[in-house]
Amino acid sequence: MNITGKKVLSQFGPFLGLIFVFVLFSILCPPAFTSVYNIKTILTQSVIVGIAAFGMTMIIISGGIDLSVGSQIALGTVVIATVLNMGNTGAEMGFMWPLLAALAAIAACGVCGFIIGRFISRFTIVPFIVTLGMMQIARGVAKWIAKEQTVTTPPNWLQDLMLLDPQPEWLFFGPGVWITLILFVLVTILLRYTVFGRYVFAIGSNEQTARLCGIPVKYYKTAIYTFSAFFTGIASIMQYSNLTVGDPTAANGMELDIIAAVVIGGGSLSGGEGSALGSIIGALIMAVLRNGCNMLGLPNYVQEIIIGVIIVGAVLVDRLKHRIKA
Amino acid sequence: MINHLHARLTYLTVLLLLAGIIFTTACNRSDSTGQSGEAAGEKLRIAVIPKGTTHLFWKSVHAGAAKAGQELGVEIIWQGPQKEDDRQLQIQVVQNFVSREVDGIVLAPLDERSLVPPVKAARNRKIPVVIFDSDLASKDYESFVATDNYAGGKLAAQRMAEVLQGKGNVIVLRYAEGSASTTARENGFMDGLKEYAPQVKIISSNQYAGATMEKAYQASQNILNRFSEVDGIFCANESSTQGMYRALQTSGKAGKVKLIGFDANETLLKAMQDGHLHGLAVQDPFRMGYEGVKTAVAVIQKKPYEKRLDTGVVMITKENMDSPENEELLNPDLDKWLEE
Repeated sequence: MNITGKKVLSQFGPFLGLIFVFVLFSILCPPAFTSVYNIKTILTQSVIVGIAAFGMTMIIISGGIDLSVGSQIALGTVVIATVLNMGNTGAEMGFMWPLLAALAAIAACGVCGFIIGRFISRFTIVPFIVTLGMMQIARGVAKWIAKEQTVTTPPNWLQDLMLLDPQPEWLFFGPGVWITLILFVLVTILLRYTVFGRYVFAIGSNEQTARLCGIPVKYYKTAIYTFSAFFTGIASIMQYSNLTVGDPTAANGMELDIIAAVVIGGGSLSGGEGSALGSIIGALIMAVLRNGCNMLGLPNYVQEIIIGVIIVGAVLVDRLKHRIKA
Repeated sequence: MINHLHARLTYLTVLLLLAGIIFTTACNRSDSTGQSGEAAGEKLRIAVIPKGTTHLFWKSVHAGAAKAGQELGVEIIWQGPQKEDDRQLQIQVVQNFVSREVDGIVLAPLDERSLVPPVKAARNRKIPVVIFDSDLASKDYESFVATDNYAGGKLAAQRMAEVLQGKGNVIVLRYAEGSASTTARENGFMDGLKEYAPQVKIISSNQYAGATMEKAYQASQNILNRFSEVDGIFCANESSTQGMYRALQTSGKAGKVKLIGFDANETLLKAMQDGHLHGLAVQDPFRMGYEGVKTAVAVIQKKPYEKRLDTGVVMITKENMDSPENEELLNPDLDKWLEE
């Protein structure tokens, strides 16, 4: 019982947590909670945090942290809106301009990530400080580009990514949900079966040892932050799709939701642990909580308290895991 | 000891998992019966979604909605975005109410564009939507219940003409770029001033106060330094009025320059008693909540309703602020409706 218990908890802990909250709310909530439409709603609502959490997972496994993700997402939405407006001739947007706008957002976030990674590895400043700075800088740049207001955009296909009822009906879920699924598979393969993935774990477990083993730690750190920023960029496309405007004040404080998703999913802030599966489950747990609390008509402060308790609870489980291993 | 706790935790989770599977299936089965029960004439459920929940303005809306709920025998579900002024979270609240299959939604959109898709999704699922306080870009809704801001601006102009006795220099401190409601007030004020007091000169109308009181205060100081010969000032919302009032106080001009603002709070009412503020155009949030719910219910019950409902603006001055009806407007008895 003890050995199997340990295994169950350490491997499926987050998953059991998700089932627990889901079951809890399906008992308490009106039957509409378990309807297909509501499941679709919950999945769609966890897309933004989920995608950004994939990037954050890599960073946290490598022993770092990124506080600038929320600001980067805001910057991304503004970049998309600005590029879209450049290509706006009054006629239909077509396919290419929105695609270009989306790529520009990914590039903008990529630049932020590259700068963060370079600073951390070149000057050995702790990630907390560098990304705290980037949080302000990216937010400021977003406001600057947007001239301190929301940027309205003409209708285009990017706005349909997060629809609850997507246009070709056979898709069933909005394209955003499918994109999340594809990215999930990619990140899982990347972390488990590639050299890059192994190095991320090695750096996070023990940076000194990793260096002594001949891993070019500095180079890889820059790569990790840049690469994870691409995911932030994709998350910003989804955020834009939801808002349909470029909003420099968007996703304020969302980095904390994203970090919480990774931590709930079993990521350890001391590095070396975490998985894409855990993180997406963490994102789902928070989406289920918000949705369920809405359904129950609980006031907002109850939601905030519950989410707080869940975060600490998840870390507590994480601690227990470590003590058992030791 | 930890191992022991650990084993217990696992055991508990497995038990809950089992219980959960049973309950989920049970819920799914009762799905169809639940819906037919609603059709048989249960209480209607109306979701009321404000822009935020902590401001007094929204508490008044809540009280008004609660009053309508009690009168009409419908259930009011009150839920704002979890973080104030967060578009994303307000979108999620609307989506969740659509999932929950409420009978009607009464919404004050935080953004005139971002809330268009969720409102459209609600109407696709045959849930009527009544918009209140500020408008939605698509006009894809049943009814719009709000203050006629242009008329409110004109009312402020009438008061300005009165206190200035038809002559002098006036500054209009605008609120923020792209804010539709306050722009309508500013335009109403300027058009009204031309009508009621053609000799009054508007010496500045291109400066913006910004979203917070702090920014408004700085903008007001700058504008007061630039124009020393000013007789009257109009500000189009609460934060800019308060910022301007602070600036007038610190420069020793409070009471000498005629200040007319929009929306009330305790500081501003105190300033009015002291004779530093000469008029406040006040909206009626209580009535917005009340009429919003009433309209939504009328739509559901297929009774006649108005497509655009003006909830009115009242000019509050030092002379009339203590009258019973204005007292009711400025200090509504919220607890009477909310604590039941």
